[in-house]
Amino acid sequence: MRRKKIEVRSKKTEDGRQKTRFTVFLFLLLLLGVDAGSVVAQNIGNYRMDETHLYAMTKQMGQFIRRFNYEEDQFGNQINPKDPAYRNRKKRQQSLAILFDQETYGNQPDLQRFFIEDVTSDDSTFMTFLGGRWYSEVSATFQYKGKDVSLIMILGIEKEGLGSKWVLNNIYFSEFNKLFPKGEITEKEKHFLHPMSHELDFMNIYKIFKEPEIIEYYASKNFQPDYLTLFFYEIKRGNLIFKNVDSVKFHVFQIKDWYFEVSWFNRSGNNAGWLISNLIYLPEKDKKDLINFYEP
Amino acid sequence: MKKILAILAIVLFAGTAMAQDNLDFERKQAIDSLALEKVRDLSKYIKIVGSKETAWSEANRVIDRAEELFMINAEIGVSSINSTNIKYYKVRPYFEHLMRLNYDRVEIEWYNIEYVSDLQRQPDGTYVGVITIFQTFRGYDKEGNLAYKDTTKKDITVYVKRKETQIGGRMIGFWDVLLGDMRVKETANK
Repeated sequence: MRRKKIEVRSKKTEDGRQKTRFTVFLFLLLLLGVDAGSVVAQNIGNYRMDETHLYAMTKQMGQFIRRFNYEEDQFGNQINPKDPAYRNRKKRQQSLAILFDQETYGNQPDLQRFFIEDVTSDDSTFMTFLGGRWYSEVSATFQYKGKDVSLIMILGIEKEGLGSKWVLNNIYFSEFNKLFPKGEITEKEKHFLHPMSHELDFMNIYKIFKEPEIIEYYASKNFQPDYLTLFFYEIKRGNLIFKNVDSVKFHVFQIKDWYFEVSWFNRSGNNAGWLISNLIYLPEKDKKDLINFYEP
Repeated sequence: MKKILAILAIVLFAGTAMAQDNLDFERKQAIDSLALEKVRDLSKYIKIVGSKETAWSEANRVIDRAEELFMINAEIGVSSINSTNIKYYKVRPYFEHLMRLNYDRVEIEWYNIEYVSDLQRQPDGTYVGVITIFQTFRGYDKEGNLAYKDTTKKDITVYVKRKETQIGGRMIGFWDVLLGDMRVKETANK
């Protein structure tokens, strides 16, 4: 949708925007200390290679976290926690903008500015690897009953033994969701085993199996389908066969009153790598239901 | 250089073999240097094996050295910009594939940039990190024309384990560094 909008813009406007984006980026790089006037370069064979974009690229999710907290300098060297520059508020305010996908947030500077002001306020929030409430979304292709299908695996970091590990938290697979459609409440209310069924040795229970597609209506109101168990079941039965990972992104709920998504942008230029692709102001009280999907 | 760093690592940590499982900033920096040495060796070996001027016997000797850098069963996962499909290689077949590339001349060079992640502990206590490096590859045909070029991002797993050895009747602690799986991903930068 957004792409279509971009296409219909006049070339003049687009050129202007590109110039603006370039200027913003030049500014950000200067703030980071990567001097655009003397680009970082090396000779490779007969070529002189400009490395500026590789320094600017957020190359690992761990670098995203370090940059988010301002724990490394512009060349990716870690800052000693004893150094006054470590997590320096002013430098952090200046450098956080480089972590945004400028194609999305170059046009929404207010939200970006509000976020930066908020996370660098007196009550600063930092992101930590073992801090919880951040998840990986792994989109993958599987073979299901002979056909290629897309499936999403949600993973989270769990502490164990002397360290930690990524664990499978949940699955999104449309075939599983179709098995448990959200039925109409009035329809659901028509299906039950009456409270005296026990006195009849549950002779009426056969009726609930006549419509397998709504069998769950006979479960407790607290019933929630466990898609991870279904996933394991189908894998063990040999019905689901892993093929490959298509993409990875991260969902971060760790920062007070904010949710953001971090995606990989494989593109040329200085705004590439792991960047914020979606940012939402989300008060803590509203996070619980959403987190329930990532960590049921 | 590698030997100097290894000795330095032993010296740095000698005498305090016990209770050194937590890494402070300075110790982490020292371990990063050890890991980077291994990655630089790997870069050097890729360049030698990839070169059409390297003799077959010499290339095989270098592949042996390269295998020693990695943990047993380490894999190399390669993907191109047009496909998410990852091709998996063991270390030796990866180098052999590199050796057999059908170009008259190749140029393999590395950018100066080396990005070292934090080290995280896995459940058994071993530290694991990732070093990211970038490589340009250019393949030329018989006429000397550029037939193929790419820039790849290589994310290399590094395992760091604390070990002990007896020297002169004294237990000396040191950090053992080995490379693990390597992800090779083509970037949009040519």
